[in-house]
Amino acid sequence: MAKINPKFGKELNKYGAVNFNACYNCGNCTAVCSLSTEEDSFPREMVRLSALGLEDDIKASLKPWECYYCGECSTHCPQEANPGELMMSLRRYLTAQYDWTGLSGLLYKSLPISIAAFILTFVGVMAFVISVGFELEKMLHFGHLFEMIAIGTVGLVILLPNIIKMWYLTILKPKVKVPFMKYVKSMGELFIHMFTQKRALGCDDNQFRWFEHFILVIGYLSLLFTTVALDWFGSENLFVIILGYVMSAIVFVVTVDFVGSRMKKQKEVSKHSQPSDIFFVVWLFLMGLTAFMVRLFIDLEILEMNKWLYIFHLTVLVQWALIIVPFGKWTHFLYRSFAMYFAKLKS
Amino acid sequence: MKKKKIGVYICHCGGNISDYVDVEKVRQAVEGDDIVFLAKTTMFACSDSNQRDMVEDIKANDLDGVVVASCSPKLHLLTFRNVSVRADLNKYTYVHANIREQASWAHSDNKMGATEKAIHLVKAAIAKSRYADALETNKIKAIKAVAVIGAGVAGMKAALSLAEKECDVILIEKESFVGGRVAQWDSLSTTTETGKEMVKRLYNELVKHENITILTNCEVIENKGSVGNMLLKIKKTPRYIGGTCHPEDLKRAIEVCPVEVPDEFNFRLTTRKAIYKNYPSEYPQTPVIDIKNCTRCGACEKVCPAIDFSEKEEILEFSVGSVLMATGFDSYTPAYGEFGYATSENVITLPQFKRLIDTQSDKLIYKGKEINNIAYIYCVGSRQTDGENTYCSRNCCTSTIHAAVTAKTKFTDINNYHFNRGLRTYGKQEILYADSLSAGDIYLQSYEDGLPTVTLEGKKTIVKINDILTNGREIEVEADLVVLVTGMVPRADNKVGSLFKIPKGRDKFYNEVHMKLRPVETVIDGVTIAGACQGPKNIAESVNSALSAATKSYSILSKGELETDPLVATIDPEKCTWCGACEAACPFDAILKIEKGTKVIADINNTVCKGCGMCAPVCEPDAVNLIACSSAEIMSMIDALV
Repeated sequence: MAKINPKFGKELNKYGAVNFNACYNCGNCTAVCSLSTEEDSFPREMVRLSALGLEDDIKASLKPWECYYCGECSTHCPQEANPGELMMSLRRYLTAQYDWTGLSGLLYKSLPISIAAFILTFVGVMAFVISVGFELEKMLHFGHLFEMIAIGTVGLVILLPNIIKMWYLTILKPKVKVPFMKYVKSMGELFIHMFTQKRALGCDDNQFRWFEHFILVIGYLSLLFTTVALDWFGSENLFVIILGYVMSAIVFVVTVDFVGSRMKKQKEVSKHSQPSDIFFVVWLFLMGLTAFMVRLFIDLEILEMNKWLYIFHLTVLVQWALIIVPFGKWTHFLYRSFAMYFAKLKS
Repeated sequence: MKKKKIGVYICHCGGNISDYVDVEKVRQAVEGDDIVFLAKTTMFACSDSNQRDMVEDIKANDLDGVVVASCSPKLHLLTFRNVSVRADLNKYTYVHANIREQASWAHSDNKMGATEKAIHLVKAAIAKSRYADALETNKIKAIKAVAVIGAGVAGMKAALSLAEKECDVILIEKESFVGGRVAQWDSLSTTTETGKEMVKRLYNELVKHENITILTNCEVIENKGSVGNMLLKIKKTPRYIGGTCHPEDLKRAIEVCPVEVPDEFNFRLTTRKAIYKNYPSEYPQTPVIDIKNCTRCGACEKVCPAIDFSEKEEILEFSVGSVLMATGFDSYTPAYGEFGYATSENVITLPQFKRLIDTQSDKLIYKGKEINNIAYIYCVGSRQTDGENTYCSRNCCTSTIHAAVTAKTKFTDINNYHFNRGLRTYGKQEILYADSLSAGDIYLQSYEDGLPTVTLEGKKTIVKINDILTNGREIEVEADLVVLVTGMVPRADNKVGSLFKIPKGRDKFYNEVHMKLRPVETVIDGVTIAGACQGPKNIAESVNSALSAATKSYSILSKGELETDPLVATIDPEKCTWCGACEAACPFDAILKIEKGTKVIADINNTVCKGCGMCAPVCEPDAVNLIACSSAEIMSMIDALV
């Protein structure tokens, strides 16, 4: 027995859903979707659940994560009900549901709160740099330390419990019986999808976008590794220095294309961009670029300028690590891979 | 008598006939007949060139008649009759033989047999041709006046259209006011005009025409005669309010009336007095006393001098040439307990709901309770799998969505849940459906074998459905109000229909002659149908059919004279003994009992007789003779065939 909640639509609109109520259930979206299968069919079903406001069904569903937003469904929708954007909004909505702190929801739904969060972190950074008397050495040292602490804390305190909540909502609560050995055996699925986003290749004409994304993930993870584990900014090792340059360059060069497409709004995927989508690509771009510049200034020994540049870099980094990674779009990277893993468990 | 000279044409029909029938052999077989002057074969008898050749043949050889052996007479009888007319012959001298459907197509497996049969068929036609004399059509005077029965939107539009053609119109309304169903609606779909405004506009136009007589409180009780001249007897029930009277007095009279009866205008949602008007701007503007419920207490008489209980029922008589029926429909009344109807107090019908929204403002209140969640159950009394009403009422999907959107706009916090069986908001009405979806209305769908259920759980009314749009999941809605989307059914009171003997279709609505090609005519000559008495229609469709029926009714009378087919039955007064068998057999009421001298005999009404021949075989003394199908003719044809 399911009860309808007509107010749910309004809630979902706050996560960016547009006009999905216009759906008259023709099913064209599901028919054109190259990832939808007979056993695992979407997006019409998710549009329907959203229109009726069947929240429990939506929370238990992994389907929003199985979509990679090629936008074909929205292009072909005769009612302009934007099923593609609905799936994207559901991902934002689910992110908020998985997040035990509730901050994800707040940030997604309110641009003023997001801006306040960015300002607050900036103030924090400024307070820190003032406390160390604008000394670049100290800033670099604490910055590096911050990175390590942030990764550990965000991972353990925010992301891990959220993954557990996702597991609870999608596996435990709907009473899906999974033998323990299946958890172990299906583990491969998790990592393959995490690093390659293999499933996105199934979308029509998506090879280039997939490749860009793949390079970006590799670049991003390598840059993270280079700066955190290999201490790029403090390193004297030529190999490490060059690796850092290459990886940060990859990050900001590739993100230029992503930022550009968000701005142009020509593709379905970018027509309805929400602030969270823009923040994600812009901050990623800024991270790559400022990291590159900071190291360049170190190598060119332009120290006075570099101080200010580093403050800028640190601000971007802190905002990235404390806002976008735990509560923003970054989590999709994690939830998508876990969704594929859980889907394997359910199959 | 001079021996007849006829021409025979045998058609190849491009091969349709000649592939199986040896047409040359047929020609040879008949050319020797004593009355056959010429016999020809032709590739296409119906072609322009052959038609021209036929005319020339007839004129050059002074032929008396023609036989064409070709396809079914349904296709080309009129074509070749016209050829005869062009060659200055009487059209009834033409005889048709069907050797395509009856010979070549029926016996494509046996060419010899097909040819032989074709020869017989053509010989029979030649035999008939011997007797095919010139006949003149009957001409009767037609009265240029039309009675329009029913002053709803269809009747009013038809009356206007007829009046513009300089035709007298008698617009007859059984109720006390004009406007019919449309007057009951405020907001209408796909227009900003309300139903009441529309009726007002039409009424104001009607009264401008001097050739329109508007009769309210009037019923046709008798009908004599036939197309062209029909004498109608009309019973006029008094309003019991005469002369002119101060509107304030009338208002007081309504106030003081102690009687309260359910108000049918508001579908029994409210009550009205025994002296009443349905709404302030209603036409005619004089109120009426509902004498059935009036207790004659006299309270109104004291405050309003115009009230006159001495008014008597009147019988009026009008002669018209044609009758246009626009008697409308009834709304389906759900059975006791059907989706909680009459058993649950939160269940009402769509017409009631529409009146409810029209009569409320700010908040939607029903039975003292504010309404927020409304469940609409579609196709109640339509598309029945178990009941008789198998048809779709076609206007209710749009009407419901329009009502739902109106309610949502007019009142706050309204949630609409549509329990439908597939939506039919055809044409421009689709926009309304899109609007309702965008406004957040929720549509749940089932097939006829999984209809929604309405149950009472304590004070709650729960509607459940296995929604086929959500993988058949059982979904429930707690509804403050359940609206049963009831469709249109034929009028329960069919007195006037029976009076004119208008046939009904399987759906029990009045039946047209041909659904596509003769959509407003009935088999009763001179009687046309318009609006929802013919079947469910929305306002636009009703008006369409009304304009069409008006044109059709007028076209019958426009010349002031009617031509009727001469192919009718005749009575031999010598032989007839009046047993009544023919009268009983006649499906058109064309046979009358008359006195001729000292004898009682049967007489045929030529304007009504269709020449169907039902009377001929039942006549024991063989007094009935069918023109162009006389016994001698038929016998000679049989001789040629066997």
